[in-house]
Amino acid sequence: MEPERWRRVRELFHSALNLTGDQRAAFLREKCPDDDEVRKEVESLLSHESSAAGFIESPAFDIVAQLVAKDDANEQNADQNLVGRISPRFRLLDKLGSGGMGVVYKAEDTKLRRSVALKFLPPELSRDPQALERFQREAYAASALNHPNICTVYDVDEADGQPFIAMELLEGQTLERRIGAQPLPTAELLELAVQISDGLKAAHARGIIHRDIKPSNIFVTPRGQPKILDFGLAKLEEPETPDQQQSISEQQLADPEWHPNLILTRTGMAIGTAGYMSPEQIRGEELDVRTDLFSFGLVLYEMATGQHAFKGETGPELQNAIIEDMPSPVRHLNPTVPAKLENIIDFAIKKDRDARYQSAAEIRADLAALKRAQELSSPIRRWLLALGTLVVLLVVGASLWLAKRQPPALPELKLRQLTVNSFENRVTSGAISPDGRYLAYADINGMYIKVIQTGETRMVPVPSGLNSKSVQWEIGSGGSPAAIWFPDSTRFVANAHPAAQGPALWGTEDTNIWVVSIFGGAPQKLRDKAVAYAVSPVDSLIAFTTNKGRELWLMGPSGEQARKILETPPASPILGMLLTPDGRRIVYGQEDEAGGGKVLSRNLEGGPEVALSALSDLKNVDDFSFWLPDGRFLYSVREPGDIPDKCNFWTTRLDPRTGQLIDKPKRLSDWTGSCMSYVSATAEGKRVVFLKGVGHITSYLADVQANGRRILKPRHFPLSESSDGVADWSADGKNVILASNRTGNFGIYKQALNEETAQPLVTNGYGRNPRATPDGNWILYLGAGDSAGEPVMRAPIRGGPSQLLFTARPGKSLISCARPPSEMCAIAEPNEDRKQVIISTVDPLKGRGPELLRFPLDPNENWWFWDLSPDGARVAATRSPAGPIYILSVRGESIREIKVNGWSNLQEFSWAADGRGLFLVAGVPGKHVLLHVDLQGNARVLWENAGASGETLALPSPDGRYLAIQSWVTNGNLWMMENF
Amino acid sequence: MRLASSLDVTRLLRAWGEGNEEALHKLTPLVYEQLRSTARRYMAHERPGHTLQTTALIHETYLRLVDVRKVKWQNRVHFLAICAQLMRRILIDFARSRGSQKRRGAAPHVDLQETMLVTPEPDFDLLALDDALKRLALVDERQSKVVELRFFGGLSVKETAEVMKVSSETVMRDWKIAKVWLFRELRGGDRDGA
Repeated sequence: MEPERWRRVRELFHSALNLTGDQRAAFLREKCPDDDEVRKEVESLLSHESSAAGFIESPAFDIVAQLVAKDDANEQNADQNLVGRISPRFRLLDKLGSGGMGVVYKAEDTKLRRSVALKFLPPELSRDPQALERFQREAYAASALNHPNICTVYDVDEADGQPFIAMELLEGQTLERRIGAQPLPTAELLELAVQISDGLKAAHARGIIHRDIKPSNIFVTPRGQPKILDFGLAKLEEPETPDQQQSISEQQLADPEWHPNLILTRTGMAIGTAGYMSPEQIRGEELDVRTDLFSFGLVLYEMATGQHAFKGETGPELQNAIIEDMPSPVRHLNPTVPAKLENIIDFAIKKDRDARYQSAAEIRADLAALKRAQELSSPIRRWLLALGTLVVLLVVGASLWLAKRQPPALPELKLRQLTVNSFENRVTSGAISPDGRYLAYADINGMYIKVIQTGETRMVPVPSGLNSKSVQWEIGSGGSPAAIWFPDSTRFVANAHPAAQGPALWGTEDTNIWVVSIFGGAPQKLRDKAVAYAVSPVDSLIAFTTNKGRELWLMGPSGEQARKILETPPASPILGMLLTPDGRRIVYGQEDEAGGGKVLSRNLEGGPEVALSALSDLKNVDDFSFWLPDGRFLYSVREPGDIPDKCNFWTTRLDPRTGQLIDKPKRLSDWTGSCMSYVSATAEGKRVVFLKGVGHITSYLADVQANGRRILKPRHFPLSESSDGVADWSADGKNVILASNRTGNFGIYKQALNEETAQPLVTNGYGRNPRATPDGNWILYLGAGDSAGEPVMRAPIRGGPSQLLFTARPGKSLISCARPPSEMCAIAEPNEDRKQVIISTVDPLKGRGPELLRFPLDPNENWWFWDLSPDGARVAATRSPAGPIYILSVRGESIREIKVNGWSNLQEFSWAADGRGLFLVAGVPGKHVLLHVDLQGNARVLWENAGASGETLALPSPDGRYLAIQSWVTNGNLWMMENF
Repeated sequence: MRLASSLDVTRLLRAWGEGNEEALHKLTPLVYEQLRSTARRYMAHERPGHTLQTTALIHETYLRLVDVRKVKWQNRVHFLAICAQLMRRILIDFARSRGSQKRRGAAPHVDLQETMLVTPEPDFDLLALDDALKRLALVDERQSKVVELRFFGGLSVKETAEVMKVSSETVMRDWKIAKVWLFRELRGGDRDGA
């Protein structure tokens, strides 16, 4: 219709609208007698006018949204209909859930007879052929990832035209739910973190970036094994060669959806995910593996603090925060986090990706090192680590009185062990009474008062209403001296913590203060939600903190007349304190805004606080110590280095006003393998009691049943106070070969199963890794190595001097021997560049023989392990705690890879005597689990050793009847020191 | 919280307004996300007797897509026009992909009336409407524009008048007749009326 006519139609239409139906016809006939076309058009329009009333009155957006809602409702219905339907391969069993990422079903894989999870893609994805194709491409890439910490993608397929991913069926909960809003205990955090970084490392090694690492994308199984989900939604990292780079760039240009934000959006990123994006991701830059490390850093932050690192009401606010802001320091939110962990997190979330961790392997190495350091230290030590350097400063801060007497000449220390608990029920804290007659102490099971003279010990009754299993008593407070007896030595103060939490989480909110009398009766509660630190030796006032450590209070001996002495800002809680011997001043440590610590002192009656600084001359102070009545300052020093712990007491003199040393520090003790905490002294200062935390090796023997698939409850063997680690069996199976420090230094011993004493074989200059040769004549072991190499030594098993057999390559080699009738022994030596280990035969008479095979190492792992099969024909080797374990022939041919189903953090292993499986140890938070694993990877739990904290190894006897197990455990007992 | 940075959206909108087609591809998913979120609200809230204020929804959409406080448009009108155009493009693309999916038979067939809690909307074809609107533009471009602004852009009569630089009365008149014209176009066969 030409415009002029249309203009007439328009005018007539509007004029006619105001008329009734009859009038309209007349009106139109009158107005256009000559133009039928115009008239008919207007009539037609008018006839539709009433039906069109509601037409397009709702905006299009709204209508489309309703259509989407309809589609979703339809799909939900369709989903319901899918359950029970049989696809050629998968039989749907149960709907597990649905969310932004689509609907997930439990299903049975009828082909492989296993349960799987099927995830149907979100509607937008399945509707868009381009997105679908990309999705499938990426899911296939992700299906190549086979790692215990990545949820395995089995297949990508379609059912009824609906694409889905078949993947590992997981039990457990998301890390998001595990965290809730509470910090995780450090041990658990590190355990999970190391494994998550393992998973990232594996994916990154294949060029796959996740791009959406967040707590809800990490699953934690009931065994504490984390699994990263939705790697299928990641994008392949761009190839780096120029040619490919160019073609990718062209492809990107051609692909309207290339923009990373788009990918994230299109893959259904849920609300809130914006809070885990890296700065470069927000800016829409090209991404590499480092974006995952940033996001992982934010996950660590959340695990450590229970809070999001960045906060914002809206996406833009969040994104601005990620680009601009620094999150609150981790240790402001959770002072129990080790300083080192805070450093790791800070480094991971550097905004400039060049300034942060460059690879998952790097952050994994740091996390693993910290985890190891934590495991090798007692819980008390962990607490001290959490207090960090502050404790160091605190030690020195205190002196407002200083005797000028010189210390007497030091006679030999007199030491006495006051408790003899085993590690299963180690002593956790304790303090001597001012008169020296009583020892108050707590172990895992309860609280006790011991008469030191007679050894008579009485358990303190549990107050009614308290469950002994739910309470962990603490005499004193970790990091401060245990000065909690009243001056008359008849009563003391104890903190009741929730037993479910480790010491790292103890704080004022869940802790109550109780008073205990030596005259019997149950403890009386003095105060809720508070932690007692000290009792004044002068007027029996009790100093305690409350309100998350922000307030320092004093109260009378029965809890009366409580008054607040000081209050700190939220970010600066009090971390430890002591009262001066005159009871008039308090010395306390406080966290400062920068996350460090400062030591302050003030009069209890008021007056200015004095900062006690300038204490840097005292290095490596390990525990909070104090002034002895003679004016000496007693403290302990942890010597730098790894294992074993080496802590010793020192004394010095300090200027009370400046903290400057006015005497050279003097060492009091020369101990190895232990550290001290909960230090207390008698009133006259002649006797000091301390908790000695000792890491040591203990061994067990268990009867093996059902071809290695079951063991009877392991019993201690040998029974000894020293560190005795079972290292091997003699070829005839009658003796175990032990590494023991019963003389103070480690040596090699053998002990028959039916005897109570061990015979020394090598007692001077022992190294490690003793193995018995199958000919029944020798022990091979590795001596102390240097840069030139490690001596491989030979000692006659019937006794006699050791001889050098040959020198192995530098680095830590490992020897393993077969069982008779095979005569094979072999050594695995890392080569110079540590890219592989070279396994060669060893003849106990002739030395190193021909090379058998080479096994490549993981450049990012410091750990590897191997063992020679009992028949000497096969080798089991692994290059990562994540596995797999490779089974090779001794000629180097690959036989199979064992993926240990359901377990990670694999430790040392040994072949079962029948050669049809392995005994393997897996580390999980708080314990070690001993497994029998068959060559298909099926694992069966044999034993859970809740006390184990370090390496554990299980070795079957040659006849397969027994299993010898060695574990690294940590024990705590109280000792008394005199004559210092 | 939402995903897209508002600065990105603003930048993309402006780029698209200046003729950069690439920007549309980047904006599309942001709108889709908003669509899904609105759809979820329908699923969650729409009950008999409880009607969502559609204009409020649309308004919210823009607020969410673009942080208006940060937008320094020299010409607000220009911005609104761009939004409407953009919305048309995106929604039509969406309808197209949805339609093709249905034609492929991938979406399971379920009776809409039985499953929907949402008030039934005239089940018209958005693609056909778009075609009709193109035809209307040949006849009367201004009316076609009014429909684009009001229907696709969700603008009020007043806002539409502002953009079109005409009176509100003119917009109302254009809107009325365009609606009828389009409605009849979509009904197809009964062009000649009852």
